[in-house]
Amino acid sequence: MGKRGLSMRRKESIYGYIFILPFIIGFIGFTAGPLLFSFAGSFTDYNITSQMEFIGVENYQTLIVEDGLFRTSLWNTLYYVLLSVPLTTLGAIFLSALLNQDVPGIRFFRTLYYLPAILSGVGVYLLWMQLLEPGTGMVNLVLGWVGIDGPNWLFDPDWTKPSLILMKLWSVGGSMLLYLASMQGVSKSLYEAAEIDGASRWRQFIHITIPMITPVIFFDVVTSLIGGFQIFQEAYIMSGNGEGGPANSLLFYNLYMWNQAFENFDMGYAMAMSWILFVIVFILTVINLKLAPRWVHYEGEDK
Amino acid sequence: MKNMKTLLITLIGLGLILSGCAGFQTSNNDKESVNEDGKIVVDFWTFWGSEIRRPVVDKIVEDFNASQDEIEVKHTYSPWGDIWTKELAAIAAGNPPDVVINDINATALRGKEQQAMNLSEFYDDSFSEKFYPELWNATLHEGDSYGIPFNTDTRVLFYNKDAFEEVGLDPEDPPETWAELEEYAAKLDVKNGNSYDRLGFYPLWGVGYDVWLLNANGENYFGPDHNTDTVNINTEKNVEVLNWLKSWKDRIGEDVVNSFQAQIDSQQGNPFFSGDLAMIVQQPTFYTQIRDYAEDLNFGVVQLPEYEEGNGHTSWGGGFVAEIPKGSSDPEAAWKFIEYLTGAESQEYWAVKNFDNVANIEAAEAAAESDELTEQGQMVYQMAVDSMEDTLLTPAPVAAPSYFNYINPQVDEFFLGSKTAEEALAKAQSDVEALIEKNQ
Amino acid sequence: MDKPEEKTAYLDEPEKLQTISKTGFFQHRGNRNNMWRVFNFVLLAAGSLLILSPLWWMFATSLKTMAEVMSYPPSFFPESWEWGNYIRTWQVAPFTTYTINTLTITTLVVIGSVLANSFIAYGFAKIPFRGKNVWFAIVLSTMMIPGFVTLIPQYVLFSKLGWVNTYYPLIVPHFFGSAFYIFLLRQFYMTIPTELIEAAKMEGASHFYIWWKIGLPLTKPALATVAIFSFNGAWNDFLGPLLYLNDENLYTLQLGLAVFKGQLDTQWNYLMAGSLLVLLPVILLFFFFQKYFIQGINLQSGGK
Repeated sequence: MGKRGLSMRRKESIYGYIFILPFIIGFIGFTAGPLLFSFAGSFTDYNITSQMEFIGVENYQTLIVEDGLFRTSLWNTLYYVLLSVPLTTLGAIFLSALLNQDVPGIRFFRTLYYLPAILSGVGVYLLWMQLLEPGTGMVNLVLGWVGIDGPNWLFDPDWTKPSLILMKLWSVGGSMLLYLASMQGVSKSLYEAAEIDGASRWRQFIHITIPMITPVIFFDVVTSLIGGFQIFQEAYIMSGNGEGGPANSLLFYNLYMWNQAFENFDMGYAMAMSWILFVIVFILTVINLKLAPRWVHYEGEDK
Repeated sequence: MKNMKTLLITLIGLGLILSGCAGFQTSNNDKESVNEDGKIVVDFWTFWGSEIRRPVVDKIVEDFNASQDEIEVKHTYSPWGDIWTKELAAIAAGNPPDVVINDINATALRGKEQQAMNLSEFYDDSFSEKFYPELWNATLHEGDSYGIPFNTDTRVLFYNKDAFEEVGLDPEDPPETWAELEEYAAKLDVKNGNSYDRLGFYPLWGVGYDVWLLNANGENYFGPDHNTDTVNINTEKNVEVLNWLKSWKDRIGEDVVNSFQAQIDSQQGNPFFSGDLAMIVQQPTFYTQIRDYAEDLNFGVVQLPEYEEGNGHTSWGGGFVAEIPKGSSDPEAAWKFIEYLTGAESQEYWAVKNFDNVANIEAAEAAAESDELTEQGQMVYQMAVDSMEDTLLTPAPVAAPSYFNYINPQVDEFFLGSKTAEEALAKAQSDVEALIEKNQ
Repeated sequence: MDKPEEKTAYLDEPEKLQTISKTGFFQHRGNRNNMWRVFNFVLLAAGSLLILSPLWWMFATSLKTMAEVMSYPPSFFPESWEWGNYIRTWQVAPFTTYTINTLTITTLVVIGSVLANSFIAYGFAKIPFRGKNVWFAIVLSTMMIPGFVTLIPQYVLFSKLGWVNTYYPLIVPHFFGSAFYIFLLRQFYMTIPTELIEAAKMEGASHFYIWWKIGLPLTKPALATVAIFSFNGAWNDFLGPLLYLNDENLYTLQLGLAVFKGQLDTQWNYLMAGSLLVLLPVILLFFFFQKYFIQGINLQSGGK
């Protein structure tokens, strides 16, 4: 890098900005305004339609000092993220490893495993409510075959969040796709070299496949962390009447925020909540980014 | 680079073609809402898109349009629930529709937040008498109505007459009090090991604990005026009711309760249809499901039992209103349509065609005697009309719109066994009081 | 951090990296490999049952009468196979129009997403410039703010542009990139050897040329992923069309499906039939798009 002249660097800079220009235009045009508005709104008593009074940091103060439901929702969300992110990441890697092999009907299998990721909407959640039914539901039925007395899933506050994680695991095919795309990029010659050295399949997986797909693992962890904090619809539908029950065990951050914004019309409060969430997620992402060089291996990077 | 040029040209070409399509024609949001014939266009949004409801609402709109020559109502369907998010966005952007069907329980709140228009300039005192008073009152904020009641519901007890007969109960003499309800339910139970071949009754399917509290108290937590000065959550009677409800769960067993509950929650496979459940509390419109999905079922319907004799058959209901969102381009025309929509003629048509409870008293009473209903249909509808007299609504009080978010979790914990009824209600009481104080 | 030796042992041998393997990995393997393949197959087949059983339930429901759907306990096989449900479903609402509308939106969104995101991602991954980290942080930040709080101001913005009741709000933003895909493609571009790009630059190629001629081909599997994801996203989008489309003639399939889900009365058989019909194009697309994964050119071989 040091060899390059100033003009070269400047030229590169101009190029860089040309390439990211679409994003900058889109950001300024469509996103920045609403974001700034919501930031400003978080310092007001804002009801969407008729009132927007500046009240300083009162929203933030109430949230942090007084609001017990805010704490509950934050805790629920953290619990969900901490459990679901590692499980779905491992699940997706494992699945894509299986699907990256040459077995008969592989195209069929890939399509099949991807299916749950395309299914969306209320129907799927109601379907799972039936599958998770404690008495005759299929999940407990299958567990019964192997001698496990299944839990009460969506009726037991200790099991509601694991229920959602189970459902999430079912549709792990979405991130499977990412890993599959990434594994396709791993040179076959690497495996051949390893084969010559007599490395076992497991060692090849650990020492070649995994390091080569770390950029995507990193991507998956960061985005599912961000996405995990925003879990909403599952809880909205599956907690019966959308209140986050039983016993507030499904009252996730965004669900509580939704209720504040669109049931109580206390949008200013919801906006303050969203910025607190932003700070939390931002810090976690920065930590992730800082840790990344320790384990993420970019083949194309300068050594 | 050649590829890139071809691509660009294709894209531009595509863009030009598409700009001719309807979805790509921008309009500059002018408030002009007059159609080619010079009629004022009233945008009317509902969530009635199903093949049963849609033709009925479309017919009402059509009749209205035919009845006069100044206004043309344009009905647009939008998905249930989400329609109100859309409405809110449209109000915020200053370009809302003119009439929207919305939830009666938040009408006063929307009035306070100035999302809905104050309708008091349009109606006189006699107008309100057309509707059930409980419904009308729910639409008031500081004495003015912000939405005109359209339809409503109540809760009644459906019971399986054959099952009654089988165990020696008189099918024409359904339970009148809580004590009888319990007694009958026990008789109707058919136990089979740990499970039930038939379950008599479980109070929390179809309705929540709050309906039983309402039934026992004859009023909601905030008294008859929904005035949040008094909060009656942690009362001796409420403790007693909760413990009574819990005793059902303890007797029947948690597994059985959960299993049936999941089935009912998923809105499919109702055990009442198959005779596996002998009694259930439901809206009167439940009748249409029996009619369509379990035609052989020999059932009866009765008002909710009384807490004690003479306590009253208090039931619970909700409903929908027609409101004019703030910013509507022509409120006078919108009101004309609302008047028609909530008038006796349209209301009776709606009631009969949909088998739905309507807010207009005259229409409701006429519907109960309508020849278009079967004898059974008339019987259920009459029961609904009777029950409406004893039906209370629980509109969101403006000082604590989300109060139930503080009560429900506590009651959940009680039913799960981690709190006593006293503890749960005491916490709920103090949380709700704190909420009211915060919002004042 | 000191990496374990094995981890990079194979990566540091450029000759091996450059070797193009014409023969597949599996073809010349012995018995041990066959055993593995059988094991793999059995595992996948067993897993398929787990995936399929909920789908079976959807399928079975779609073929029942409502009376059977509401019967208790639920039946595993439909009593009479009501194939007519599929025709009825299609007729309840103008689904043909909805399909055309949805296809129009989706096609444009996919084109926009693939082009814009890969262009932007190349900039972030392969061009050093001042302020890059700040801008990248901004990209990521746009994912972190819950959409609920920007939903209303964004609607107001599009309303001011006169875009309400048009497809523009559903399409145009996709031509300016979105954080998820930018980040994803950046990760893939990062694995392209810098030497490759330096070499092309030495020969006088501009970044545009390199992006178009080297970047795009090398990231085909990732682009296919973006195409599938964005197709899926636009196809299944509910909130966007809900908010922005007022004219029922402009509605999309997801809005159409909502017709079956009422306040109290849900027509489960139609809802499931409709959901499966709507799913079909996505499944077909995925099935045939897969060749981009299977034939995914690996970085070392494709770069030459």
